[in-house]
Amino acid sequence: MRIQNHPILSFNRGKQIKFYYNGKELIGYEGETIAAALYANGIFKFSESKKLKRPRGIFCAIGHCSSCLMTVDGVPNVRTCITPLKDGMRVESENIGVEINE
Amino acid sequence: MDENKVIICRCEDVTLKEIRDAIRKGFTTVEEIKRVTRSGMGPCQGKTCGLLIAKEISQMTGKPMEEIELQSIRPPYGGITFEEVTKGTVMENDK
Amino acid sequence: MSKIQNLELLVVGGGPAGLSAALAAANYGIKVSLTEEREFLGGQLIKQTHRFFGSEKEYAGTRGIDILKKLIDEVNKNNNIEVLLSSRVLGIYEDNIVTILNDHKMKKYYPQSIIFATGASEKFLAFENNDLPGIFGAGAVQTLMNVYGVMPATNVLMIGSGNIGLIVCYQLLQAGVKVAAIVEAAPKIGGYSVHASKLRRLGVPILTSHTIKKAIGKEKVEGAVICELDSNWNEVKGTEQLIKCDAICLSVGLTPLVDLLKQRKVKTTYVSELGGYVPLRDENMETSIKNLFVAGDVSGIEEATAAMIEGQIAGLSVAKRIGKNSKDEIEERIEEAKNELELLRSGPVGKKIRKGLSKLGLNHGKNYNEKFSEEALDISHLMKTGVPSEENLKNKLPSEEKVFDKGPIAISECFQRFPCDPCVKSCPFNAISENGNINNIPYVDFEKCTGCGICVSKCPGLAMFVIHKNFSETTSVVIMPYEFLPRPHKGEIVKVFDREGKYLCDGKVIRILDGKFQDKTAAVSIEIPKEYYLQARNFKVEEGNHG
Repeated sequence: MRIQNHPILSFNRGKQIKFYYNGKELIGYEGETIAAALYANGIFKFSESKKLKRPRGIFCAIGHCSSCLMTVDGVPNVRTCITPLKDGMRVESENIGVEINE
Repeated sequence: MDENKVIICRCEDVTLKEIRDAIRKGFTTVEEIKRVTRSGMGPCQGKTCGLLIAKEISQMTGKPMEEIELQSIRPPYGGITFEEVTKGTVMENDK
Repeated sequence: MSKIQNLELLVVGGGPAGLSAALAAANYGIKVSLTEEREFLGGQLIKQTHRFFGSEKEYAGTRGIDILKKLIDEVNKNNNIEVLLSSRVLGIYEDNIVTILNDHKMKKYYPQSIIFATGASEKFLAFENNDLPGIFGAGAVQTLMNVYGVMPATNVLMIGSGNIGLIVCYQLLQAGVKVAAIVEAAPKIGGYSVHASKLRRLGVPILTSHTIKKAIGKEKVEGAVICELDSNWNEVKGTEQLIKCDAICLSVGLTPLVDLLKQRKVKTTYVSELGGYVPLRDENMETSIKNLFVAGDVSGIEEATAAMIEGQIAGLSVAKRIGKNSKDEIEERIEEAKNELELLRSGPVGKKIRKGLSKLGLNHGKNYNEKFSEEALDISHLMKTGVPSEENLKNKLPSEEKVFDKGPIAISECFQRFPCDPCVKSCPFNAISENGNINNIPYVDFEKCTGCGICVSKCPGLAMFVIHKNFSETTSVVIMPYEFLPRPHKGEIVKVFDREGKYLCDGKVIRILDGKFQDKTAAVSIEIPKEYYLQARNFKVEEGNHG
């Protein structure tokens, strides 16, 4: 959910753009991070952890903890919390339905 | 507290149980625990788990935190792609 | 051959410490390259909507985001500073060669000196299901809300009651998000009492001696189980409680980001008071390796004001070492900055920092002199609950009832000694005093006070109120600070609450001061039945009236 009115801040959002999350079309704003755009669309779970298949999303939101990794435009392990959203971006969850054979 | 459901290393999915088992087995430095469990080997390189592991070692062995070292850190910081390694260096003749 | 560019000074990190360091050096002719990983400058300052405490020189009373605008403006105007955005330092090598990655290209630099201002990262906490989506660090919540205007959740449980935890809770409320409770493991509140008092007035429970046991939820947070702790930090059996929430915010401290320093084998050591593993450094911010300096949170967790002054000291130290002129003047400025830092750290709330710094061999003995004009107040109840005791309140009220007869007077509900003086500086009648020590508690001279209400909007802790006891025969007026939406209309009836957030009565809004001078902290005059004039300290606007 997006904040429309704030007592201290005004949000100068960029151009409204489309992007794709696991094939689904969503709306975001140019210049915001992929993670913020996903959250604004109510998506908390980004990927699953590789060994234990636990749901994961944002933790630090600033590029330190690597909890928010997703595949973006075919490139894996992208830190979505510090990567700016672009028009037509394809964002995909990682490790869901993938088994690691040990 | 179910130690199997407490995550210490998020990147490599290492639980509190695994960390404590490693310490009980005699691995009492962060560097050794890293090699045995893979904690600290993920994309964040120990930023999230390091202090917690050091604290567990301290609590279980009685060693004070001042005597516990975190894992060693080497370049590159933050991860890079193979393309950046092979083609990315700015050379003297480049514009 | 790979290209290597020579530099005079490389500053790593574009937050408040890095910006201040770059400016300090550049102003004395040093050519500075400031490198920042993100595509914008500011570090943590970009999310700080609250007014800063501290001294006027370091922008006390100004909102963090506005301080940042000033710093960035100065940096952009300074011809000696080259800003490298979206540039990540990949490595620093034995010979001080630095490799920086920008737009997939790696470039090498050979700086004469380096100032690391890389900041800190959030500490993690061990409890069951601590990795569920919806569990964030406090910074993450601020980033989503204040930078991107996205609500992180609808109902947050806050773990940790340090200044960051308390400030973020208040910011959550401003963004329209509920706060279920604040959980604090220690027996008392970690941050400044004024932050806690604000939240109690707004009805947020603060549970000291409590901790989180587990997070509940399948794919994201749906609730949490908390429990009470005894004096040995062990769980008290039978005190488990389920708290419904859709996010859990961990505000359990920060730890310095020393990775680059460790690459270079700068000596570090564990100091718990400073947040974890910190670099050894001298009072000029120089590390164990010559010409490598640190500033800001990477040198020890403190806050933005200290970060800015440390940045100045580091930048000036570089200017003194490699610059060509003005060495005497630079030395004077360094001493000034060090004195300011000492003053900021000299009060009771600076005890932890002083202890931590002494473990690094840095003693603030020189100018430190804990001379206070009054006895400290007994604030044990305040620090446990966020609500002042009757004794505390009596101490700040006029000693004689008849003082209330002269008209409206300002009452300061600030009971804790920490460095802050915007109230003193804001009063046009010099009616507020801290007796010359910024750490002292402010007192109002009721003879001089006219009840104008300027201080209500200027206090960063929202701890000033104006009481007009005898507004009419049956009513009083209380002027309260207000930083929420919607703003009330004149004449509107609002619900009025006490210091614990309990409903007292209905009140009528008779005046709202909300212009440029108030800088978004409105001073709202509420008329209430006279019997409540000592208790009425908060109000809420009925959403329905603003359809």
